[in-house]
Amino acid sequence: MGAAKVKRLFTWTGIGLGTLLFAAAVGLSVLAGSPKDALYMVRYALPHMHRGILKVGDSAPDARLFALDGSDTFHIRERTTGKPLVLIFGSFT
Amino acid sequence: MREAHPTDEWQMKSNVKDDVCYAQPRNLSDRLAIANDFTKRFHYQVPFGVDDMDNAANDAYAAWPERLYILDESGKIAYRGGNGPFQYHPEEVRQWLAARYGEVKHRETPPTPASNEKPVETPEKPHSSG
Repeated sequence: MGAAKVKRLFTWTGIGLGTLLFAAAVGLSVLAGSPKDALYMVRYALPHMHRGILKVGDSAPDARLFALDGSDTFHIRERTTGKPLVLIFGSFT
Repeated sequence: MREAHPTDEWQMKSNVKDDVCYAQPRNLSDRLAIANDFTKRFHYQVPFGVDDMDNAANDAYAAWPERLYILDESGKIAYRGGNGPFQYHPEEVRQWLAARYGEVKHRETPPTPASNEKPVETPEKPHSSG
């Protein structure tokens, strides 16, 4: 392959990657609300978001939770006896 | 669990507008204080648990920033929602519960002070939200 062809290949690869990055940045900005929010989403949100490995039918993992007063604790699985338990995970902000 | 939009990370305009401005908790006391502010502000009556600072519950359920699950009586996962906010669908939980216990009809408009009617929920079948 000649030098000119290699140069052309690198040029078009760069253009392709640049276009993809630009499209990803625009897509994230639209999703997050603004370019600044997109940057924060990548920095603060994406590292903490995971789909997890749990599936319907799996045994529910247990975990200790604190009551609002901070002195009492209970386990999630303690609350599954006798009736279904709806878990609503979230934060205030 | 970890705050999604604390003041020292990705704070959003809506947080300022709604006066929900907290730094990311560094200890359990801070996390409990935010949880208590939430339950007081919204008069939240549902049993409430706060994840430890090691985020054990969050890690076990991959729950951040928000997620819904239903566990059945045998301790198995009966419903697994997607990660919020884009795949957070409370209506799917409602459908699961309705299929199990029957629909619950809610009033569409709250009663006015002049009205003598009381707000009524009319379950067609016995209802329990677990």
